[in-house]
Amino acid sequence: MIVKTLLAAVVAGLIAGVFMTGAQELRVVPLILHAEEFENAEQPAVQPATPPAGEQQQHSSLSGAALLGEVLAALSPVTPAYAHEGEHEDGGIMFGMSRFSGTLLANLVAGAGFALLLTAIGLLSNRPVTFANGVYWGACGWLAVHLLPAIGLPPELPGFPAAELQDRQLWWIATVLLSGAGLYLLALRGEMIAKIAGLVLIALPHIYGAPQPLDISSNVPAVLGAEFAVAALATTLGFWLVLGVVLGFINDRFLKA
Amino acid sequence: MATSTLSSVTLSLSDRITAGFLALLVGGFLVFGTGLANSATIHDTAHDVRHSFGFPCH
Repeated sequence: MIVKTLLAAVVAGLIAGVFMTGAQELRVVPLILHAEEFENAEQPAVQPATPPAGEQQQHSSLSGAALLGEVLAALSPVTPAYAHEGEHEDGGIMFGMSRFSGTLLANLVAGAGFALLLTAIGLLSNRPVTFANGVYWGACGWLAVHLLPAIGLPPELPGFPAAELQDRQLWWIATVLLSGAGLYLLALRGEMIAKIAGLVLIALPHIYGAPQPLDISSNVPAVLGAEFAVAALATTLGFWLVLGVVLGFINDRFLKA
Repeated sequence: MATSTLSSVTLSLSDRITAGFLALLVGGFLVFGTGLANSATIHDTAHDVRHSFGFPCH
């Protein structure tokens, strides 16, 4: 039964992942590609300053030199494009897949992951995701994972200025956890004190403040950024609603004893 | 919510907790891998997904 429960989540996640891939191709991916044109336009000017070809360009590496380079790159008004398909040899897309296949695979994995997390919260709070309440579960997932963190760190395009990656990831994870806990207290607890505590938890990371870049100049037009932020949030809202409803449907249909 | 009494998932308490933590662990691992892991290969594969899901990227 445990395996069946987890399997139901994975199947729902895969379905939502396929949906997400289609939805992304409509607006989000074209905007990313468009932004990369601006990002790459500055490549030649940056080339002499970059380390010699041989040196690994792992921008997400934890080593000091790479981190320093990353900070400099993040602070620089001329942001070099890195870690994009075909631009350097290390890294690259898994198994030599096309960019689209990589995106599809990542969506499937992310979908299964989010579905398992939603299932986990449903099980641990003893409020299983059903067809009837799935849409609310999905909406809360979107609020906790996307909208509330986006207040501090809106979805950004390649080439946008940003603070150090690790700081942002840490703030993002903390915000998702606090928002999730806050939403739980707010939505599923009746006591007044719980609701107030929930609001406090949700507000906390924003009072603390998200890590922001020192230099906000960018080659990528701001209009693209605005369009992308809305498109990304709208797409993920669709993803979560589909995920919640499909997960609820599968739970109702196949897990009823 | 009253719907919780009409639970569609009929697991015993210990099974429910076990399944819950198992799902939490595996789900967290998958989401971390897609969205936050520091490997260049994973980053490049999931690049567009990271951006469109609003994960901190670059």
